[in-house]
Amino acid sequence: MSAQLPCNEGRRRFLAAGGALTLSFAMPAWSASGELPRSLDKTPWLDAWIRIGADDSITVFTGKVELGQGIKTALLQVAADELRVAPGRLLLVTADTERTPDEGLTAGSNSMKDSGTALRHAAGQVRARLTDLAAARLSVPATNLTLKDGAFATADGRRVTFGQLVTGQELHVRATPEPPPPAPGPKTAIGKSVPRVDIPPKLTGGRAYIQDLRLPQMVHARVVRPPSQAARLLDVDTAAVLRMPGVLKVVRDGRFLAVIADGEYRAVKAATTLARATRWDTPASLPAHPDIASLIRAQPAEPYSILDRGAPGSIKTSGKTLRASFTRAFQLHGSIGPSCAVAQLVDGHYTVWTHSQGVFPLRGALAELLGVKDSTIRCIHLEGAGCYGHNGADDVAADAALLARALPGRPVRVQWMREEEHAWEPLGAAMVVDVAATLGADGRIADWQYAVLTPSHNQRPGKAGNLLAATHLAKPFAPPVPKPSPQPEGSGDRNAIPYYAIPNARVMHHFQPRAILRTSALRGLGAYCNVFAIESFMDELARAANADPVAFRLRHLTDPRAIDVVKLAASKFGWDSYQRPQGSTRRGRGFAFARYKNLLAYCALAVEVEVALETGLVRIVRAQAAVDCGEIVTPDGVRNQIEGGIVQSTSWTLLEKVRYDEQHVLTVDWASYPILRFTQVPDTVGVHLIDRPGQPFLGTGEAAQGPTAAAIANAVFDACGLRMRDLPLDRQRMRRA
Amino acid sequence: MDLPRRKRHVGRWLLAAAVVLACVAFAIMWRPAITPQTATPSFDQARIDRGANLARLGMCASCHTPDLAKPFAGGKPMETPFGTVHSTNITPDNDTGIGRWSLEAFTRSMRKGVSRDGHLLYPAFPYNHYTRMTQADIDDLYAYFMTRPAIHAPARDNDMIFPFGFRPLVAFWNVLYLDDSAWQPDPKQSAEWNRGAYLADAVAHCAACHTPRTMLGGPDLSRPLDGGEAEDWYAPALNARSPSPLPWTRQQLHTYLRTGIAEDHAAAGGPMQDVVMHLSQADERDVAALSAWTHSHLAQAPARATPAQQAGSLPTPKADDPDLQRMQTGYALYANACARCHDAGRGVGSGAALPLQKAVALYDPDPRSLIHLVDEGIAPPDGEPGRWMPGYRTILTGEQTGALAAYLRKYGAGQPAWPDLDDAVRKARAP
Amino acid sequence: MTTYRLQVNGKQHAVDTDPDTPLLYVLRNDLELSGAKFGCGLGQCGSCTVLVDDQPAMSCLVPVSSVGRRAVRTVEGLGTGDKPGVLQQAFIDEQAAQCGYCIAGMIVQATALLERTPRPTDAQIRAHMSPNLCRCGTHMRILRAVRRAADVLAKQPAGAKR
Repeated sequence: MSAQLPCNEGRRRFLAAGGALTLSFAMPAWSASGELPRSLDKTPWLDAWIRIGADDSITVFTGKVELGQGIKTALLQVAADELRVAPGRLLLVTADTERTPDEGLTAGSNSMKDSGTALRHAAGQVRARLTDLAAARLSVPATNLTLKDGAFATADGRRVTFGQLVTGQELHVRATPEPPPPAPGPKTAIGKSVPRVDIPPKLTGGRAYIQDLRLPQMVHARVVRPPSQAARLLDVDTAAVLRMPGVLKVVRDGRFLAVIADGEYRAVKAATTLARATRWDTPASLPAHPDIASLIRAQPAEPYSILDRGAPGSIKTSGKTLRASFTRAFQLHGSIGPSCAVAQLVDGHYTVWTHSQGVFPLRGALAELLGVKDSTIRCIHLEGAGCYGHNGADDVAADAALLARALPGRPVRVQWMREEEHAWEPLGAAMVVDVAATLGADGRIADWQYAVLTPSHNQRPGKAGNLLAATHLAKPFAPPVPKPSPQPEGSGDRNAIPYYAIPNARVMHHFQPRAILRTSALRGLGAYCNVFAIESFMDELARAANADPVAFRLRHLTDPRAIDVVKLAASKFGWDSYQRPQGSTRRGRGFAFARYKNLLAYCALAVEVEVALETGLVRIVRAQAAVDCGEIVTPDGVRNQIEGGIVQSTSWTLLEKVRYDEQHVLTVDWASYPILRFTQVPDTVGVHLIDRPGQPFLGTGEAAQGPTAAAIANAVFDACGLRMRDLPLDRQRMRRA
Repeated sequence: MDLPRRKRHVGRWLLAAAVVLACVAFAIMWRPAITPQTATPSFDQARIDRGANLARLGMCASCHTPDLAKPFAGGKPMETPFGTVHSTNITPDNDTGIGRWSLEAFTRSMRKGVSRDGHLLYPAFPYNHYTRMTQADIDDLYAYFMTRPAIHAPARDNDMIFPFGFRPLVAFWNVLYLDDSAWQPDPKQSAEWNRGAYLADAVAHCAACHTPRTMLGGPDLSRPLDGGEAEDWYAPALNARSPSPLPWTRQQLHTYLRTGIAEDHAAAGGPMQDVVMHLSQADERDVAALSAWTHSHLAQAPARATPAQQAGSLPTPKADDPDLQRMQTGYALYANACARCHDAGRGVGSGAALPLQKAVALYDPDPRSLIHLVDEGIAPPDGEPGRWMPGYRTILTGEQTGALAAYLRKYGAGQPAWPDLDDAVRKARAP
Repeated sequence: MTTYRLQVNGKQHAVDTDPDTPLLYVLRNDLELSGAKFGCGLGQCGSCTVLVDDQPAMSCLVPVSSVGRRAVRTVEGLGTGDKPGVLQQAFIDEQAAQCGYCIAGMIVQATALLERTPRPTDAQIRAHMSPNLCRCGTHMRILRAVRRAADVLAKQPAGAKR
């Protein structure tokens, strides 16, 4: 995957001549037909992105949403910078099917690439248009104007503001494929760490989340879910619950059972009473106590070849061949705030407030569910707690819409309970990896064969059948048969292709359309386990080649940006001078590197761990990461995402697995599914950024998780000689190792 | 009669007696040092594995591993009536651990409570139980400990109440309570029972918590398994005096010892959680033996009718209750804070819990366990899955906790009031 | 339904609700104080943490009928957007949030620590904060923010408001 992108020669000369501290960035190549970059292509009107009011207000519209990754602030910075205003001057409107461009999902670390790029172009072209309008209004050439704080001025002091220039449809023009001229003057926003605009209200009790939404006449609902997806509803006695104070309605449609009440806790109590008055048949539908490997290997799969380079499998060398298998358990998103939605049906029109990552696809799925046209549903994004992918957000929106239909006129708020979120959210899919590699006499990898077996990592709506309640109705919607996403994005096979120079390599993705439990996108998708497997195996190969793990990786990297992050992380960690305490089996160091999707951010990580096999405790003592995410918009935002990714992945890697018996999912709260607490976080985490001005923005939200898992496992091996190949490395597994 | 001469005779006899006593006392109190070893022997893996199992059964980590990152490095403070004792470093570190301890030194510490250098160990270390371990088991434990990673961790200073800081006094405690005769099986019992009896006495030292102690802190052997205490929790009687409101089956007891929870019985709380953590990692057959032995004692408790046999929520206080206002306060707390989970009966998650009429803490002769449960709740061990009961210390005032406990005692268990309840609540809340 | 008088953030309120309603719902729905959050309702995550007589308490477990005269403080009582309290400012300065859902609970929990132990060690901060969960992995920043606030307070004269 080449990172070299063409740069307009004329621009380069302009910059060199001007010497101003301007932005330059390389344009993505687009076709001769004049296709617009990224999200602009779907929504080419400039005023779909930027509106200027007569009062000089500037509103920016994006189809992306704030997930807690700081995207709102970053997008504001991009737009503000192009318009040469302070970010605080702008109002940002995020995904709303009635007001903003359709940018699909906020996922895959693509927001900066898609929306950021679109906004940069749109804002730049708006600025260019305004510049032309100002020049005409003030009767001077455009080059004689200065731009500051949303106003153009001439040398002799005449001024006109943005708001004075836009009185009608001046911005209702299509974006052009040509990049706008670079903005004059110094940057106002990009490259600095601007404090996030969404943080202060969250710290002072502001209404910041969907869970905080309160509307007049709002009522509260809770759903009584089946004990399992296979459970059958035998009977419900609603008499007692209907007598409870505040209960407005009990809704039953097939196995979908819910109660609506006038107060929130009344709804909670009513749902408990209703649950106790319900009888289910809960058959044994899950395999009890399987190990992940035998469970996954037994599932039918469709083979996809995603890499076939050289002549894999036919190399004869004098070097060693190594084989290994790796596994990952089902894991949870585990959003700290369980999913929530509010829906209201008024005069045949639905409004749904949701924290779904994709309000436009959700609208489509809801329309199918309710049997109505898309145009009768408006989905408005409000922030939820961190979702880390496809959690219960879409499902609860469906619950709310169904219940709004049952009680027209009133806004109906549905809040999932903790047990509901744990038991019903789509899971991070279990995975099995088999890998074999052969070293050449020169100590380089000559042959590489890799296979990943895993169910779907993407069952997002889409279709009504992807919504949980839809599968419980009397006339249920069947979940559509999932298909794998193609490379280079991939799904379960994301990052299954190693970024290393290997002359003969085959990578297979054995996609399993069916799984014992519903699975979908969890941050990183397949990258978490694939990078864990590849980077663990690289260490095993390094050892077989008698090479230092960092040197071995460098031997196989050709991308200079990859080499830079590897060297930087090693250097910041003090890799070459590290001394393990003499004779100790308790401390060790580990290294890992990956480029997310082989396309996006580069992340290298070195860690020192402490291992106590008697108690099973493993903990990171210190971690040093190096990251290259192209041109950096918000350095602190990047650091926040990487630190968070390291800590979150540490939790996944050392603690987390979904457990079930033959009838139920058993991991239904934080007691049964422990996650990392303050007493277990590393002593120190350092993140070192390499800024690449001019390179495309690359998202960092998913860059650290895979490397963290491998770095930990490699460090455990260094400490005590145990090669752990199964995620999670939980206490029990470490004790028994 | 010549008085001064008689006095001189008596004086000489007294002096002689004092010298003899001093010699006897010295003989009791003094122990020689054992030469430190310079090279660590090697051990075969089978021995080490057996030792690992014995360390689980012996609960060594309970005291010697306060920090999960540093197994057996010691440093845990233990409150005793004689002061605060800190556990020592039993990793094979040469300077701060037992790296220089020969098998002889290790054996002496386990059997006699004497450290390698001759100083006496406080019986917070239950050597008065370990003394009855077989030599083969002590050998295996030695192999295990000598092959653990060495951790540098100097011992912490103890904080003893005068005069108990003077270690040689422990020798007198040993005279009274250190019975180092070999453990004897009961020929009338099965091999499994005897294995359990041996483990319970010599290794797992159940009686250290479940048998009451004398004023001097030794086991009251006239009342074996009559109930005792640990870390201010009441450890219930395991014999005919068992307060358990429902009888235990053998299977329930085994499940409880392995998982901390069994149907119809309260989940393990407080120090018992650590016992379960250890037993869950021990050989299952040994736990089966322990449960066989324990069950044989528990089964002696006479069957009795208790509210535990009735289903349903706990009742409202009777209108003629002499303590009506307090009982109503307690009832309201039960109904508004506890019933949400505890009326549901156990389910898959923590939001559905044991109906309180079955909770043994209400039936204990001592309210301390109930108070601790209400204040601290039950949390799974660090980093492990388990069940959860939240703690209410900052949610309920002391007065509310007392009212709740009084109500539960009367209307949950149908037992006579605890006379010292309010004192116990105050003491639990004291900073 | 009964009327309960509550003192929240220094103000008296009268609330009509059922006696078993957890304080969390009363704060959020009756008093419109959105700071304390519903995270689990089981006392496992700390998103709902408030102060009751200066002690941290999980408001999802506090029946409104048991509060009585005790003083309740929520994150709203510690400062506003215009005048943030010391901890709130420290969290802003450290940008100690990703999704931010757990943060109000963190700030209240930390308040209790700093009011009792003005110069906590790092180990004390970690132990004190451990009842509160963060899923995004913001722990390092949260610890830095608490440390930062402690350092600020250490420079202030005694008795200064947290």
